[in-house]
Parts: sequence; C-alpha cells; structure tokens
Amino acid sequence: MPALIRFDQVSVTAHNKTILSDVSFSLFPGEHAVLCGKSGSGKSSVLKTLLGLNTVSSGTVYFQETPLTPSSVQSIRSCAAYIGQEPMLGAESVREALLLPFQYKTHHDHRPTEAQLIEVLDRLQLPTAILSRASSRISGGEKQRVALARGLLLGKQLYLLDEVTSALDAESKRAVLDVFSDPQLTVLSVAHDPEWMGHCGIIFELEAGQLIQVKRNGNP
Amino acid sequence: METLDIALPKMAFLYGLCLLPGLMLWLIGLRINRDIGISILRMSIQLTLVGIYLKTLFNLNNPYLNGLWILMMLVVADLSILRRAGLKARYFALATFTAITFSILFSTAYLVILVIQPTHFYDARYIVPLAGMILGNCLQGNVIALERFYSAIRKNEDEYATFLTLGATRWEAVRPYFRDAIKAAINPTIASMGTMGLVSLPGMMTGQILGGSEPWLAVKYQIAIMLCIFTSTTIASIINLKLSLNIAFNAFDVLKDEVVQEP
Repeated sequence: MPALIRFDQVSVTAHNKTILSDVSFSLFPGEHAVLCGKSGSGKSSVLKTLLGLNTVSSGTVYFQETPLTPSSVQSIRSCAAYIGQEPMLGAESVREALLLPFQYKTHHDHRPTEAQLIEVLDRLQLPTAILSRASSRISGGEKQRVALARGLLLGKQLYLLDEVTSALDAESKRAVLDVFSDPQLTVLSVAHDPEWMGHCGIIFELEAGQLIQVKRNGNP
Repeated sequence: METLDIALPKMAFLYGLCLLPGLMLWLIGLRINRDIGISILRMSIQLTLVGIYLKTLFNLNNPYLNGLWILMMLVVADLSILRRAGLKARYFALATFTAITFSILFSTAYLVILVIQPTHFYDARYIVPLAGMILGNCLQGNVIALERFYSAIRKNEDEYATFLTLGATRWEAVRPYFRDAIKAAINPTIASMGTMGLVSLPGMMTGQILGGSEPWLAVKYQIAIMLCIFTSTTIASIINLKLSLNIAFNAFDVLKDEVVQEP
C-alpha cells in the first residue's frame, strides 16, 4: 500500500533559521499519528510544510506518492483539513463558516443540505442553534468542532490537527475521538494530551527540528 | 477680470501673519518654531521652483516637454506610492507604474481630448494641472489599497491559509482582503463627492474663482475633475493590486517575505 504522506529528508529554513532538519517519515491511509516535543521543536511546521505553506529548502514532501509542487499543492489542500488551536472560521456566522468552502469553484457543486449540516453538528455534539451564532461569539472548543464539521462536510480524508483537544471539555473530546475512530480517516496531529496520544498508534518525537524517535503501537 | 497681484513687499508682509501663531505656540510652551520655520521655508523654495518650471513649460508649450513632465510626475508618484505602502520598489515599480500610467492617461485624455477639446490637446495649461491633480488623488488611493491589502494578508496570515486549505484558489483566498482594500481606497473620494460644496469650497473651484472664472465654469470643472479622480483611482488601484498579486506570492500562494519592507 503506498504511503499517503511521505517526508524524504525534508529541511525547512525561514528567516535564516532552521525549522525542520532532515525529517523523514511515512504515514499510511487510516493511520493516526501524533507529533510531540517541546514548543518550538517544529511540530506545527510539519503540518504547515505538508500544506505548502513553508518553503522546503531540501528534500521532498510526497502526498499520495506525488512530490509536492506548485501544481500538485491543490490536491493535498483539497484532501486535507487543517484545524488549529484557535481555528479561523473566516465568516460572520457559523452557518456562513460551514458553507464558506462551497463558494469556491472546487466545491461549488457539493453544497450540503440543511439535513447534512444538522447531522454533522450532531455528530460533534454541537446544537443546531449554533448555526445562527456569530463566529466571534463561540468558544475555542466550539470553533474547533465547527472547523472539524467543515472538514467532514467537505468529505476530507486527512486531518491535520494542531492541539485540538486542549480547548475541549471531556464530553466534546469524546465526540471528537469518536469521529476519528473511523478507520477511513487519516490523522496527523500535534498534541500534549496523554489521552489523545493514547489513541494515536504512531508517535513522532521532535527535538529542535529533528525527528528523534518514532514509536509505532508503543514500540520504538 | 484679472486677479490682483501680490507685490513682493506685501508677500514679505504676509509671512508676518505667522508671527502670531508662533508667539502663541511659544507661550503655551510648544517649542516647534524651528520645524515650522523649516516647513515654511521649504514650501516657499519648492513652490518658487515649480513656479519657474511651470512658467517655462507654459511659455514653450512643447508637446514633448509636457509629456516628459507628466512622465516625471508618474515616476515620482510610482516610487512614492510604494514607499508609503511599505512595499519594495524593486519588485513592484513596473506594476504600479503600469496601473497609474494607464488610469491617468485614460482619464486625462477622456477629459481633455473628448470633453474640453482645447486647440492643442497637449496644451500645458490644461493637461499639466489636470493630470497633476488627478494623479495626486490617485496616489493616495493606491497607497491605501496596497497598504491595506498587504497588511491584511500579513495580519490574517492564518485566516488566509485557512481559505487556501479549504480549497480556495489564490484569487478566491485574497478576494475578501482585495475588496476591503479597494473599498478603503475609493471611500475618501466617494465621501468627498457626497459632501462637496456643503463642508467647504473645493480647492480647484476656489482657485478658478480667484483666477477670474465664472462660478458656473468653476463648478463644471470641479465636477469634471472629481469624476476623473474617482475613475482613475478606482481603475488604478484595481489594476495595481491585481498586477501585484503575481509578484508578491510564491507558486504555493504564500506571501513572499522579501517583497515587503521591514518596519
């Protein structure tokens, strides 16, 4: 089975500072991995590099075994959902935020129905009434779940999650973990939370931009 | 009807007017008289030079010389827009120059050749002040458009990246910031048209009336210049921003660090 994501000796430099140095790893479809390490160790940079938001100085990033280039970046961006600690909803109301990507040409023909909207909110334990609330008035945890709902509506298969569980209460966290128990979904996350890490089969440990340890199912 | 001249001794007497505010500022302990002095001196020297230059330009009334003068104004405006917008001229000079040149030539030509129709279309008395006035306002608009747009992209870096990761093309992802920037650029012109004549008498009209024109004629020219300013500001800022998009972003649609000036 080909890897979904593969970093081949990837280094990233920005503002004359090395952010990632010679990082190599693979992630296969359906796998759940977590990147851990001290702050500034380059965890979030792995996610951003994958999305083509950082310029790779050497090495190659592969997505579905295709090297990441300006012409192929659109394919990873359309397959992956990136959700940060305080996700940007990019619209006035929650409803507008959920429907935002369907204004873009790529998703124009896949606009979800009202029933689909409600179903996905329900899956993430969000009330239907949240649809009419202002994006700026909802909590960080709700924002994360709305962003996650948006990813699910887009039918995304790959989730890049940056510290998503930190703002969630126990119940919401359970809902999020339930969503990701789906074996169809591949997850590459950044987290400190032991419960979350326990649910991830693969642990990548980073230090000062280098990948120092990979644990698969608890084994180094 | 001739405008009354101000003879040199009276000109000197005029500067005496500033002694009163100078004294008052000094009394309240605001020691800025040196700065004021320098500014008044600069204004006097600069305007004297412009006076000499314009007099020569009007006397010769040579189409090439007039064209050269407009070209020089465009180059100076180009560099001034980029400096004030915090963008590096090395990257954007050509894009901005193209945008302002097209919009200024279009609106000035429309006004002079199609509407005013002087004997010679290159008549310095018309094209130099009209192009200058349109350009001056268009410059403000372009500074606002570029500055707003690029600071919004930098300030909302995460939001912009979110749009990209939601499947937006570069154009789809920048569009909200693009619209805001254009709106900010043309808003002052729209507001000024909306209140024109109510709040104050516009500068050009005042000038024409002092110069001996009929108020009706002054009104018509004022309307003409406002429509041209609105047209050229809108056209120039849209073209300018649109052209800059191809320069400021890398192939992955991320804003290049090196194109903006370090604060």
